[in-house]
Amino acid sequence: MSTPSDALSCGHSLADLSEYLDTGQIGDPGHLAECPECQSGLASLRRLAALGNELLDADTAAAGSGSDDWMKTILGNLRLELRPGRSIPLRADTPGDVLTETEGSVSALIRSVADSLPGAAAGKCRLYGDLTEPGAPITVGVELAVVYGHPLEQRAATLRQELATVLSRQTELNITAIDVTITDVLEPRNPGPGAPAAGAPVAGAPAPTVGPGGPPTPQEKP
Amino acid sequence: MTEPLSPGDGTHAPDAAALAAELQSVIEAVAGVTAVYPARPLWQTIAGAARSAVTGEARSRVDVASSDTGRPVTAVKVRIGVSGAHPAPHVARAVAAAVRQHLSPHPVTVQVGIVQIGSEEAADASGAQEM
Amino acid sequence: MTDSPSAPHQLDLVPDALLAGRAADGDTAAFEALARRHGPVMRASARRLTGSLADADDVVQESLMQAWKQLHTLRDGDAVKGWLLRITGSRSIDHLRRRKTHADLGDLDHRLEAGARTAEKEHPEHAALSGSRMDALKAALAALPEEQRRCWVLRAFNDQSYEEIAQTLNISTASVRGRLARARISLAREMEDWR
Repeated sequence: MSTPSDALSCGHSLADLSEYLDTGQIGDPGHLAECPECQSGLASLRRLAALGNELLDADTAAAGSGSDDWMKTILGNLRLELRPGRSIPLRADTPGDVLTETEGSVSALIRSVADSLPGAAAGKCRLYGDLTEPGAPITVGVELAVVYGHPLEQRAATLRQELATVLSRQTELNITAIDVTITDVLEPRNPGPGAPAAGAPVAGAPAPTVGPGGPPTPQEKP
Repeated sequence: MTEPLSPGDGTHAPDAAALAAELQSVIEAVAGVTAVYPARPLWQTIAGAARSAVTGEARSRVDVASSDTGRPVTAVKVRIGVSGAHPAPHVARAVAAAVRQHLSPHPVTVQVGIVQIGSEEAADASGAQEM
Repeated sequence: MTDSPSAPHQLDLVPDALLAGRAADGDTAAFEALARRHGPVMRASARRLTGSLADADDVVQESLMQAWKQLHTLRDGDAVKGWLLRITGSRSIDHLRRRKTHADLGDLDHRLEAGARTAEKEHPEHAALSGSRMDALKAALAALPEEQRRCWVLRAFNDQSYEEIAQTLNISTASVRGRLARARISLAREMEDWR
């Protein structure tokens, strides 16, 4: 496996040292510490490894941020395919036409409505019932994380109202119930350098019980 | 993003491709339509994406099926994104009507799938595929 | 992340393991947060492996699609970055194989350097610090035989083990060991002047 030029006069090869760097394994570890040739070879390979990391960092920085347009394009494409779900039929004016909206497009709509509520972030958004059968009763389930300090019951009621309005406009589903479950209480983030204005939450501890009188004190994750 | 290399030789069904492009413009002009997506799911076309990017060969987004070569068209299939500003079911019906009117008097069946509702990122997603 | 001009997404603050768990449970928003977080390094790796930015974006998209479908196989959510990079490596190599079976498009790898220099112009502060040394490494890397370069990038960028690289490239681990060693020897020799 060695190339003619990589053999050291001590009997080891740079290929041995290269593998040692990755695996920590070499035939006679005691030799390494004493052999100036091996030490010099190792130092050279380590410098290269450091340069490799530097190149990776530079390339990653040059690749841009995940909030840039290239990633938006990719996510836009993926969004259509990740979870298209069931096809929800829409009434057609002409017999033979097949008009549908995907379950994924409706749950994304539900999520965006929930996310736009101040102090709230959507978790799972699900549609229950036979979506493929026109007129079948459908239940909407939304899990919601709410920033600590916001009135939970009021948030849930507002969201139910808004969802009912949006869904009656954007779908032909027969929505019989909208269940909003508060699953998390989020701790408001401390404003700091580079931090956005107040309101952006971090994930806090799950809230097992939620009462209008006193939400539990958020705790650190173990 | 795409280097201007030699274009694809475009040998197959130029009529169908031209018609698909025509229909795409018609559909894009319907109020409430924010994007026209490839009619076939991404994972079916992904293998062609690289070649398409390199050669600049355009993939038509509107699926057009004909009873024989060229017109008349018997079936049109399209996937769209819609803005939240218009009721999505209305937009789907308006798209079907616009396609039918464009191909009139030939009879046609139209499949419209709404895959995205009211996202401001829809325009980015469709526009970027042409870069 | 701190100087991003657009408003940060709420999930961008949530740790990998939690996001991976939610994504495996079907939460697309959590998956998108993971994609935004690790997309840049995936793109960097795919770009070095495929040699073109347009191909890199196809690879990243394809890799994310595969990741979504296979998330349930990921046992350790903290390992999601390495897992995404392994997928990126495989998809990049697949992409190159597919490209080779199409028309002879010339050596696209040479476009890599032109692209890299353009990117550096966009980041002049970085280029000023270490540009010439990085340029030398990029040039040395571009001059390597392709099989050696793939091994080196999969090891240095994607942090893959010899076994994983062997699997990705469909060669023996002994070949990985040899090619990686030869790549490093060439690169180290080229870089001796830049100490």
